[in-house]
Amino acid sequence: MLRKVAKLLYFDNWNVLIIVFTEMRDKLRKWREDNHRNSEQIVDVGEELINEHASKLGDDIWIIYEQVMIAALDCSRDDLAWTCLQELKRQFPGSQRVKRLAGMRLEALEKYEDASKQYDSILQDDPTNTAARKRKISILKAQGKSAEAIRELNEYLEQFVGDQEAWHELSELYINEHDYGKAAFCLEELMMTNPHNHLYCEQYAEVKYTQGGLENLELSRKYFAQALKLNNRNMRALFGLYMSASHIAACPKVNATVKKANVKYAAWATNQINRAYQLAGRGTKENKCSVKAVEEMLESMQITMS
Amino acid sequence: MSIKLTTQAYCKMLLHAAKYPHCAVNGLLVAEKQKEKKKDSHSTPILCVDCIPLFHGTLALAPMLEVALTLIDTWCKENKYVIAGYYQANERTKDFRPNQFAEKVGARIAENFSEAAMIMVDSTRFTMGCYEPILTIYDHHENKWKCRDCNADCFEDWCEAQKITSALLEGRSYESLIDFDNHLDDLRNDWTNPEINKSVLHLC
Repeated sequence: MLRKVAKLLYFDNWNVLIIVFTEMRDKLRKWREDNHRNSEQIVDVGEELINEHASKLGDDIWIIYEQVMIAALDCSRDDLAWTCLQELKRQFPGSQRVKRLAGMRLEALEKYEDASKQYDSILQDDPTNTAARKRKISILKAQGKSAEAIRELNEYLEQFVGDQEAWHELSELYINEHDYGKAAFCLEELMMTNPHNHLYCEQYAEVKYTQGGLENLELSRKYFAQALKLNNRNMRALFGLYMSASHIAACPKVNATVKKANVKYAAWATNQINRAYQLAGRGTKENKCSVKAVEEMLESMQITMS
Repeated sequence: MSIKLTTQAYCKMLLHAAKYPHCAVNGLLVAEKQKEKKKDSHSTPILCVDCIPLFHGTLALAPMLEVALTLIDTWCKENKYVIAGYYQANERTKDFRPNQFAEKVGARIAENFSEAAMIMVDSTRFTMGCYEPILTIYDHHENKWKCRDCNADCFEDWCEAQKITSALLEGRSYESLIDFDNHLDDLRNDWTNPEINKSVLHLC
């Protein structure tokens, strides 16, 4: 769609064409900053930008080449990835950052041994190169060697204890291995360094809930509540609060006070959930079925609680 | 005892996997509720008429899955459907065997629907042309999951399914597919995917 629009405007106002170009460039920048993995769109916009507007990009072009190259690898566009890589090699000969990109291309072609050698050569020159170490761990992950990946990532984190991306990756690896206790530990590290991040709170609560048992359920309810405090529109936290409070209230082991409190929390959450759905469902006929389904679901769970 | 898939169900499964090629994805399959159980009901295959895409990324967490199962169960009751199956595509392309998580969810569904099936998507054979069915179907027998070969017989109309799925993939319809995760991000996102259902119908 964008291609057709850009070509049409060639024959129109030159200024309008500049606007299209700046829009494309800004889109790429936003996706870069938000770390979006919308690779197909990045390739669409980026390829056009590189082919038709390279001269206008100035020094931005190099970071765009990097961004488009990685997206091209995601889309099996080795032709485009190769072009970007060549441009970067020419401009930054001997750069470790470009070497890493060359390694990623080898990974995409499943040439894991060659990729590993590439990263090893980076690490020989610079043993503190975190990017190369993390790529080596990614290779283990790609090969399905989860236990090794977990071991290497733990070793990495002993040295680079502040790397949040790594802690998060480790928590995911543990979750996939159903090692919820260790996943919770990783999320605790993240919560400590990012106390205002509602997503970490909510993920921690989900892990605790999955671990099960009364104590973990109560912890999970507390952290769902904390996530809501940090962001009152986090629907997962709201649903999580509802589910954990309902389960605690329905548990035969709890005393009457705890049961009463959790029934109250669940009732509050029910109210908030219904409100959220009413707000969202306004105007659309289709969403009305969702609203009804949620109401009924909440009602049916009330019955099991009492 | 075997299940069959309609074009709509197969289509949405593949679109879900195509939307998140770098993630694991999972979802549910629903079938129309049978009025009465006839004596020879074993010979009539269960027709899975629709697919509800659930999550992408980290699948193995309980709370949102429970919410989704309960909510979709309620929705099913209203529409005279029953949850009849579970599908999963793993994060790694070469990994198409069901894992512990898939078996757990499948078993949970089988508790409510004895003929439930677990379906794994084989991403290594996933092409734009959709020339062959890329699923492996597992049936629940005596607490074990038995693998069954998936061929054209597993579809209500394989030729139609192949044609329409391929067309929607080419047209990048997966960009507008909504799964339950998208719904939780923004409640206005409709996990029944009415627009895609319309596109499928339109191409039929």
